[in-house]
Amino acid sequence: MNKIGLIIRREYLTRVKKKSFIIMTFLGPLLFGALMFGAISFALNDETNYEVLIVDKAGAVSQFDSTGKYFESRFEKRFEYNQSQRIKYSFLDQEIGTDAFKESPYNIMIEMDDAVVNNSPCTFYFKRLPSGQVSSAIKTEIENAIEEFRVGKNLNIEYSEYQRIKVDIDFKEVNIEKLGKVDRTQEKAVVGFVFAVFIYLFIFLYGVQVMRGVIEEKTNRIVEVIISSVKPFQLMMGKVIGIGLVGLTQFVLWMVLSTVIFTVVQASMGGDALPAQVIEQGGVRTIQPEVMAQMQKSGPMQEILQLASEINWPLQIGLFIFYFIGGYLLYASLFAAIGAAVDNETDTQQFMAPITIPLIFGFVVSEFLIANPEGAAGQIFSMVPLTSPVVMMVKVAMTGHITWYMIVSMLLLVATFIFTVWLAARIYRVGILMYGKKPTYKELWKWMRYKA
Amino acid sequence: MNALEAKNIIKNYSGHYALKDVSITVPEQTVFGLLGPNGAGKTTLIRIINQITGPDSGEVQFFGQKLSPEHTSAIGYLPEERGLYKKMKVGEQCLYLAQLKGLSYNDARKRLHEWFKRFDILGWWDKKVEELSKGMAQKIQFITTVIHEPKLLILDEPFSGFDPINAELIRSEMLRLKESGTTIILSTHDMGSVEELCDNIALVNRAEVILSGAVKEIKNQFRTRTYELQYKGTALDLTISLGAFFELVDSTKEDDHMIAQIKLGEDKNLNQLLSNVLGSVEIISVHEVLPSMNDIFIEAVNNFNNAQS
Repeated sequence: MNKIGLIIRREYLTRVKKKSFIIMTFLGPLLFGALMFGAISFALNDETNYEVLIVDKAGAVSQFDSTGKYFESRFEKRFEYNQSQRIKYSFLDQEIGTDAFKESPYNIMIEMDDAVVNNSPCTFYFKRLPSGQVSSAIKTEIENAIEEFRVGKNLNIEYSEYQRIKVDIDFKEVNIEKLGKVDRTQEKAVVGFVFAVFIYLFIFLYGVQVMRGVIEEKTNRIVEVIISSVKPFQLMMGKVIGIGLVGLTQFVLWMVLSTVIFTVVQASMGGDALPAQVIEQGGVRTIQPEVMAQMQKSGPMQEILQLASEINWPLQIGLFIFYFIGGYLLYASLFAAIGAAVDNETDTQQFMAPITIPLIFGFVVSEFLIANPEGAAGQIFSMVPLTSPVVMMVKVAMTGHITWYMIVSMLLLVATFIFTVWLAARIYRVGILMYGKKPTYKELWKWMRYKA
Repeated sequence: MNALEAKNIIKNYSGHYALKDVSITVPEQTVFGLLGPNGAGKTTLIRIINQITGPDSGEVQFFGQKLSPEHTSAIGYLPEERGLYKKMKVGEQCLYLAQLKGLSYNDARKRLHEWFKRFDILGWWDKKVEELSKGMAQKIQFITTVIHEPKLLILDEPFSGFDPINAELIRSEMLRLKESGTTIILSTHDMGSVEELCDNIALVNRAEVILSGAVKEIKNQFRTRTYELQYKGTALDLTISLGAFFELVDSTKEDDHMIAQIKLGEDKNLNQLLSNVLGSVEIISVHEVLPSMNDIFIEAVNNFNNAQS
């Protein structure tokens, strides 16, 4: 076995055999699954019943019921019990005061007066802040009721007619190059974002491990023994590749285990119940088969399947692997150089910023990219090698085909990682034998120019 | 044949010399002492021989060939600052280091077994390095340095951290290796072991070799023509009898006799000294006082530094 192979083998085996690796491999997807499952079931099982009291001083949305004792909704089919969010409405025509509200069984009190009917804000008292979904459900209910009230008061038409007249436009975005297809660029960008997050996490988690490994060899003082047998470059690359393989192993195992767990959970919950519920944002507890069937015809499920079919998976995954590896090699070699430059982890801070900033900047650019898919920023930073691994994932998910700048971007990435590996190796070979003082950037520059 | 020949090595670190025109010659199957104060440039020279760094100019020859990467498997290096992977098991780690030096897995295993048996440490094989004491770790390091049977062995302060028994073990292993043909470069501040082990030395000071050659010759070179004379009688009688060309450097009293150190004047010899004093005191013994390597080290370095400033 050649020497770099030996080093890769050691770096790989010592890490894969660690208890923490084995635990993380199994616990990772379990934790992730538990979190997902927990969040969903928590959302599903939010047992809070919302008793909403509407103090309608203007008498805009409520009136006496037939008994003449209690108030009820002025309009049919308004303020009915909201089953999914468990909201129940009651009415009063005069204030009860905040103290009385505190004592009352209501959790929410809304005060409406004449001004509210004319678009002034109305006061929303709560005992515990409800979720955004609940408030928006209440808000929509009130808005619609006031609208109906205004129509009846000001216009000489039926509300149903008004609804027919009222305009509500949705854009159906069509790319002229792809006539007949609905444009889902933004949704696709989200898929790209997920890939970008994976690349980012991978680079960070394992890049830092490379750095730690180098510092460990330095502080253990074994490094001089090793580099009397192998070239510093071989030691550095062996470490970078070995740890990269550890990351890939963990990643693949997570994928496999997650699939297994997902399948098991799915099977135990019966059919497609879980994803359907996820799509309904935790709003529905049980889904009737006919609802299910209908959803699959035109609901979000269909949307997702449609979206998935529009992503160019071979290209997406191909580029993912390419940028995953290219980005890792680029950053990991820089991490190795940092590790070599310092004596302990606390000294790494000053050198970390130039590494973390481009990565985070990649995400910022990706955000812009979603807002403005054809913008120049996206184009440029999908070519700049330090940001391209993140930005390109989003970009390729959106466009779905190879373009000239992707090829430029890939070539640039390869050229850059060869350059950074070379650069890092020059800092590395000097740094690993330097102890004591914390180097400055100026000194790193000096190290780089030492003769080999 | 010379195991190693370094010719006119120059190494410059951003404006200051680490090595300034350094040349050393290490004959095969000898122990070569590389001496010098801290920061003189010894470690830099050793790193150049190990091809960890390269010289700015100059050439290193290894058994008559230009030093090249394939020679790393023929060199064993025990650095002064040495360590092991703490979390790795002893056996695993030895196998790894031996394979990095080019041994096959099976060869490495077989040889390690022999060494572990000889050092009586077979029980350590599955221990983690962090469980070992410093002395134990040093033994492991020594084994991994010599496991590939290098033709040239470079030991930088090999005895530091050892108790006297283990230091003696290493010393005898060094001599055994030398007997079996290994050439050894020993860098140390322990002048006792230099006298005991080294055939030749080079003294490096301020990036230059200021003294080199066979230990015997250097000692000769630094002879002060001083003799130690043990006698019975009085110091006064002795002094009177010495005359003008012999200088009494030191005189002490020991139980029932006296010890004097006498420096010979130019053109004078021991016979003349003896004939001068024979009538005055009763001589018990006489021998030449040779300077210790320690004295030579200090004198050479001080002379050089004084001349420079």
